[in-house]
Amino acid sequence: MIAGAPRSLLAPRKTMPALPALGLAVLLHLLVLVAAFWLPRLFDRARPPRKPIIAHMVALGRPRDPHLLPRKESPPPAAASAPHSLPAPSTKAAPTAPAKHEPTRRELMERAIARAAGRADPDAKEAPDPERAGSATGSPEGTATSAEEGDAYFTAVHDAILEHYIVPSVISERERLYLTASVIAWIGSDGRILRHEFQVKSGNAFFDQALERAIQQAALPAPPADLARSLRDNGVVLNFRP
Amino acid sequence: MTCPLLFAFLLAAVDRPVIDLSGGKVQPVPMAVAPALGTPEAGAAVEAVLSQDFDRSGLFRLLDPASFLAAADEPLSGFNYGPWQSVGAQALVKLSCEAPGAEVKCDMRLYDAARGQELLHGTYAAPRPALRLLAHRFGDDVVRYFTREPGVFQTRIAWVRESEPGKQVVASDWDGYAPLPLTAATINLLPSWSPDGKSIAFSSFREGTGAHLFQVDVATQKIRPLLLTGDFATGASWSPDGTRLVYSSSQNDNTDVYLAQADGSGAKRLTDSRGIDISASFSPDGKRIAFVSDRAGTPQIYTMAVDGSDVRRLTFQGNYNQEPAWSPKGDLIAFSGRDEHRVFDLYTVALDGGKVTRLTQNQGTNEKPAWAPNGRYLLFSSTRTGKRQIWMTQPDGSGQRQVTNEKGGASDPAWGPLAK
Repeated sequence: MIAGAPRSLLAPRKTMPALPALGLAVLLHLLVLVAAFWLPRLFDRARPPRKPIIAHMVALGRPRDPHLLPRKESPPPAAASAPHSLPAPSTKAAPTAPAKHEPTRRELMERAIARAAGRADPDAKEAPDPERAGSATGSPEGTATSAEEGDAYFTAVHDAILEHYIVPSVISERERLYLTASVIAWIGSDGRILRHEFQVKSGNAFFDQALERAIQQAALPAPPADLARSLRDNGVVLNFRP
Repeated sequence: MTCPLLFAFLLAAVDRPVIDLSGGKVQPVPMAVAPALGTPEAGAAVEAVLSQDFDRSGLFRLLDPASFLAAADEPLSGFNYGPWQSVGAQALVKLSCEAPGAEVKCDMRLYDAARGQELLHGTYAAPRPALRLLAHRFGDDVVRYFTREPGVFQTRIAWVRESEPGKQVVASDWDGYAPLPLTAATINLLPSWSPDGKSIAFSSFREGTGAHLFQVDVATQKIRPLLLTGDFATGASWSPDGTRLVYSSSQNDNTDVYLAQADGSGAKRLTDSRGIDISASFSPDGKRIAFVSDRAGTPQIYTMAVDGSDVRRLTFQGNYNQEPAWSPKGDLIAFSGRDEHRVFDLYTVALDGGKVTRLTQNQGTNEKPAWAPNGRYLLFSSTRTGKRQIWMTQPDGSGQRQVTNEKGGASDPAWGPLAK
């Protein structure tokens, strides 16, 4: 072969040894994976347009003197249990509770929007404790002394799931303090929960079963058009605490 | 190869809206107790006791048998779960009892009706007079299955029966059944179970020289003096290992907390303040003692090391807090406190952080909290129905139930240890 003549593309070339090539390939793959993981964070992707849920509502009441003993956190029982006649044990079981009115999607949305607008829930039935700590602009259903802004749709989702969120009393109060679980739920355009998956289980089978029941029984409103695709494809994370 | 992995990582990195949910309704598990099979009389009696235990526990909501869709003679196993699921049962108890002679034998089972699984299965036997115990044993096994903690259905409680002639210490089943008087109706107060459940220390005026401490053997009802020193000695509380007692005694017009051996010997003063120090109660690890002191002007709850050192004030709200009872789990102290309406109610204070939670409100006067040995319930006395009676509650104030229905009233409850 004449030196300096153009080299044929078909001519054999000097190849890289197999081991360094494999190492280089692995390194490149790793670099791609690391980039895939970190790049979105580096470029600070825009957060979802919706803010998370209202966690608490302001309770209706007056601020309480911190030197006084507290009031009950929940309303007292409506009526004391009937005295138990001794010594004959009762064989009668407690009658089942009457069926509760299931709110329609429209009602849920209206309720959520009313709350977001700072108006009291028209469905509120319970008379507030006149000595309850809270704010003069609070809601009779409020549970906290301060509130955050929230999104109407996610408020409706929150309320619909909360309606069925029942923590079994077999879980002790002490254990309830530490139980947490995280579930991803994918929501269809009609509000149906398409599927759900535990991101983190609580470690207590009764609690996890109760969460699944709440998700399955909740009747969610249809999401707004601008959220529908994201909720169907990416889902929403439900973080549960007792 | 890179593409699927990259896709998986991108999926994992997806940002989703987050909804935080808390404040779920704490509700009992819906439970059905199927009609007992076998000998009708024994089966019905066991079924009744079981149903009552489950109902009073606050852990289960018993479904009305009238709503059951399954046949009354449905077998113990190999049945269709559908009718039980239709009535909303999550837990299902089935039993079959035979009583051919002096003994009752029951085959009892627990099912997860929602998932169609058998969870517990056992044969329990007891002499006919101890039929209630048989039901309590299975009930405790069911509670342990669900809560991973011992149940209290086999435990006993003590309280003071108030009547015209005086006050007598009485022991009964946990639900107030089978009350057994342990003392005469003189003036006997503040019973406290020994950790082995064999005896009860109590305060009594029986010697006619002021209140002093006595001990009664629960099996024989034999009474012996425990501490007769000082102007008075009252409010005994046992250490968890049963080797020591704390109590209050007044000597030279100064009421302090004392520690003595279980037989009353070797008494040693633990507090030495100008105020009144009373109502001592051991922590479950036996290392600290809760007590009431008015050393800062008003009665408040304090704790101290078992040698009297390291005194710490625990309550700062309210101006009259009394009767501390340390929870078996060690995290809470229950007490009664007088609110701004001058009514005593029940509260708990957290050892960690000092958060005070109210358990009773607007329902008469509520005093003298006493913990169940598993920490899931408290006994207390209440005047909500007129006469003072013993009531029970869960530590969050829910599930309040009447325990005694004494004509003259009942007070000073104390919960015995777990059954061995």
